[in-house]
Amino acid sequence: MTRAEFLIRLKRGLAGMPAAQIADIVADYEAHFNDAQEAGRSESEVAAALGDPERLAREQRAEQGVKRWEETKNPSAAAGAIFAIVGLGAIDIIFLLPLLMGVLGTLFALFMAAIVMFVAGGAVTTAGPFAGLPGGPVVAFLTGIGLMAGATAMAAVTTLLTIWLVNGLVWFGRLHYRLLKPAIETQV
Amino acid sequence: MTEAIEVQLKKGVLALCVLALLSKADSYAYEIASKLAKDIDMGEGTIYPLMRRMQSDGQVETYLVESQSGPPRKYYRLTEAGRASFTAQKAEWAAFSSAVENILGAAA
Repeated sequence: MTRAEFLIRLKRGLAGMPAAQIADIVADYEAHFNDAQEAGRSESEVAAALGDPERLAREQRAEQGVKRWEETKNPSAAAGAIFAIVGLGAIDIIFLLPLLMGVLGTLFALFMAAIVMFVAGGAVTTAGPFAGLPGGPVVAFLTGIGLMAGATAMAAVTTLLTIWLVNGLVWFGRLHYRLLKPAIETQV
Repeated sequence: MTEAIEVQLKKGVLALCVLALLSKADSYAYEIASKLAKDIDMGEGTIYPLMRRMQSDGQVETYLVESQSGPPRKYYRLTEAGRASFTAQKAEWAAFSSAVENILGAAA
């Protein structure tokens, strides 16, 4: 592989990341080729020592997604981290995908149920006391409050489960880094 | 020694080695990488993600130095935090390695 080819493939792999970051990463590898050339090494030798540029790019993206997730625990960061990890394309992650989708679907359903329960609780609290329900206004009011509290607890537990799931996935995905995280490869 | 143990061991000390090199003199990535590649058999491309991580952790900072041959070079130097981290990690390493030495010596 020539230097130009390596850099093109790396850039293509990084596309979609913030431009400044891509420029930074690419500049590092360009400088590496320059310095290696000064040391009298051939382009193909250096490219081989650096490793597969697509793989490198995928791992950079995964690391980037993970970092965003660690900084901001919001749904979009979670989705980003999940996609980046799945993008590593390790076989066992692909096999896990249907299972993962099932679990995510369940968590989503739990969230929806919690929201519906909260709204229903709100309705019972406000309208219940005037609806002449059996048990009287106080019971209706308390039932409504209870429903809302239950819904809040359910949402909190679901959130915790989701965070655990994503963290677990991140941990699992990082085991699949070949170029980035094992920070060292034994030279074959 | 099995390859897996060796990789794990080196992985753990790589950041420490980079801190040690930079504590002696500022340097650029290629120089750091070639020193480490020679001495502890490290894949040379792996220096870049590591340096980026250390930079975002605030252990190192960069500055540019004009070079006669080609574009300016990015040099790394330790920050105060990096220096402190080096001192702490070095002490940890010394304690750990002497403990391992003792155990190995006792087993011999």
